[in-house]
Amino acid sequence: MDLNVNIAGVILKNPVMPASGTYECNSIHDNIFSPDEPGAIVSKTIFINSREGNAPPRICETPCGMLNSIGIPTAGVNNFIRDRLPVLAGFGVPVVISIAGNSLEDFCKLAGIIESTGKADLLELNLSCPNLHHGIEWARDKNELYRVIKRVKEVTNLPVIAKLSPSVTDISEMSLIAESAGADAVALINTYKGMKIDINKRKPFLGNIAGGLSGPAIHPLAVYAVYSSFTKISIPIIGTGGIASWVDAVEMILAGAAAVGIGMYNFVNPLIMREVISGIEAYLKDNNFDSITEITGIAHL
Amino acid sequence: MKIKNNLIKPFLTEGRIKARKNEYTGYLDLLIENDKIAEHAMPGQFVMVRGWNSNDPILSRPFDIVQVDPANGLFRLVIKITGEGTGLLNVLRSGSRLVITGPLGNPVEVPHGEKIVLLVRGVGAAAVVYLAESAKNAGTEVYTFLSASAKNRLVCRDYLKNASKDLNIITDDGSDGYHGDARDILERFINKSKPDRIYTCGSGRFARFADEQDRKGLIKGFVFLESHMACGMGDCHGCAVKKRDSGGYYLVCKDGPVFPVNSVELD
Ligand SMILES: Cc1cc2nc3c(=O)[nH]c(=O)nc-3n(C[C@H](O)[C@H](O)[C@H](O)COP(=O)(O)OP(=O)(O)OC[C@H]3O[C@@H](n4cnc5c(N)ncnc54)[C@H](O)[C@@H]3O)c2cc1C
Ligand SMILES: Cc1cc2nc3c(=O)[nH]c(=O)nc-3n(C[C@H](O)[C@H](O)[C@H](O)COP(=O)(O)O)c2cc1C
Ligand code: FES
Repeated sequence: MDLNVNIAGVILKNPVMPASGTYECNSIHDNIFSPDEPGAIVSKTIFINSREGNAPPRICETPCGMLNSIGIPTAGVNNFIRDRLPVLAGFGVPVVISIAGNSLEDFCKLAGIIESTGKADLLELNLSCPNLHHGIEWARDKNELYRVIKRVKEVTNLPVIAKLSPSVTDISEMSLIAESAGADAVALINTYKGMKIDINKRKPFLGNIAGGLSGPAIHPLAVYAVYSSFTKISIPIIGTGGIASWVDAVEMILAGAAAVGIGMYNFVNPLIMREVISGIEAYLKDNNFDSITEITGIAHL
Repeated sequence: MKIKNNLIKPFLTEGRIKARKNEYTGYLDLLIENDKIAEHAMPGQFVMVRGWNSNDPILSRPFDIVQVDPANGLFRLVIKITGEGTGLLNVLRSGSRLVITGPLGNPVEVPHGEKIVLLVRGVGAAAVVYLAESAKNAGTEVYTFLSASAKNRLVCRDYLKNASKDLNIITDDGSDGYHGDARDILERFINKSKPDRIYTCGSGRFARFADEQDRKGLIKGFVFLESHMACGMGDCHGCAVKKRDSGGYYLVCKDGPVFPVNSVELD
């Protein structure tokens, strides 16, 4: 069975990867799951400088999902390159480095620094974090979205994935803008901005007031984001949002995803990525397909 | 202050409920069959548990490992029924299967040949039983103050009694032991018996008391912390607790759950 997928010239041995910020590739997983099993590994988003992250509480359970307002704590790019990147690059699978910045210059600078290490295969621009001061705005404003992707593409030869926000009027238009600015792939979707109120304290539950909704609750929304973008763009889509089983992943691929990202379900079932990989393989076999690419987007009539 | 990350790598495993009892209404005592947890878990560690197949509730629930019996492949949890997840666990019968990730968190160092005080309230008592038993076996004198709103909330009373040289009961309503604020008796006890360490769980007031004693420089204070958790393994950065003095946060699951009381901000 051929599970290989090609994302902007990088071959993944299978179409499954963790979604940024949900799987650290630490040795703590050694008895459970190995980082060399997915088709690619994805770093948590990094910034140039270190960041503390947001005030707790940072997470809150919701029906079939969770809100998070983590706020991307990071040790900053220098520490990341010294301490984490060699680890990530040592698993023999393509490495996606997720970056974000407070300004267009930050994105460009980070792209340059990451490329110069020679250890990253793909760059993911997190243009869609709902927990930053200027996070989601990149993916909400058409001009800014175009500008940031275009500039980053000018300063780096690394293939660029634009991670977009569903908290917009029509994400397929944003996918189209990302493509026209030169993005090599899009990751759809980041979390939906949302909030929870503690009715006893009569205050927002999360320390940062609002957060991002992930999990099975958003899966149908994510499938539609992928489905509606697929016909508008020709670059690959990494379908992310609420995948909790191989069935959810196959749905995403039939909607048009070339690969899938698995986020919060890594917390629920630390074996989910392995189960999704084997489930997709069995599905293809049972339905007499020879390769994963045969089913990408075939739900479109 | 630097905290050592001394993680035993966790397993994703299944456990069968061997026995269950509700000693008091609203509290569940589960004896679970699982060789791996029974063999590897250390005092201070916890497990993430789910006892349902659906995605609602979606997150596994963290609970302290109360006792282990490696020879028989058993370990114990003591659970206060507070909401949806614990409610679902409470209706499971003996023989039911649980999905367990663990052991998680850093073991707490077991004091040898010392004198220690445990100040625990409510289900916070569950966190220190394993430490108390291990310390006792290591020749440490364990003095325990167990507090609750009323007599029928004195969780883990017998377990702590067996492990302690002396168990003092404190209740808010006076239905057992000392009535109300225990500050006086605690201070008197500490001045007289001069323990080496104090451990607290389940009460902000006890934690602040331990902090005050710690500041005097003669006794080391430790606090068992809780926080909302999604992964229990350092992946989600959800379980943050503010560091004292220096900026930033610790992760309760990765850096704790037991902290020197002077290293974290207390509520
Ligand atoms: C390291 C650690 C050890 C713990 N040990 C024990 C123990 O030994 N015995 C025991 O009874 N309880 C313990 N708790 C608390 C226990 O995890 C919660 O009471 C339980 O998760 C509540 O779940 P629920 O679905 O019944 O409540 P709900 O209120 O319906 O839960 C909603 C969400 O909030 C979270 N939550 C609610 N209360 C707490 C809390 N106090 N701490 C952390 N998360 C919470 C739940 O996990 C869930 O994600 C521990 C918590 C932590 C972090
Ligand atoms: C705790 C948590 C942390 C996250 N951190 C990041 C991050 O650092 N960068 C990023 O691009 N997305 C981040 N995300 C979003 C996920 O990568 C993913 O896009 C989103 O959660 C939807 O997928 P899911 O429903 O499978 O979780 C985070 C999500 C969660 C739940
Ligand atoms: S619970 Fe996820 S980092 Fe602690």
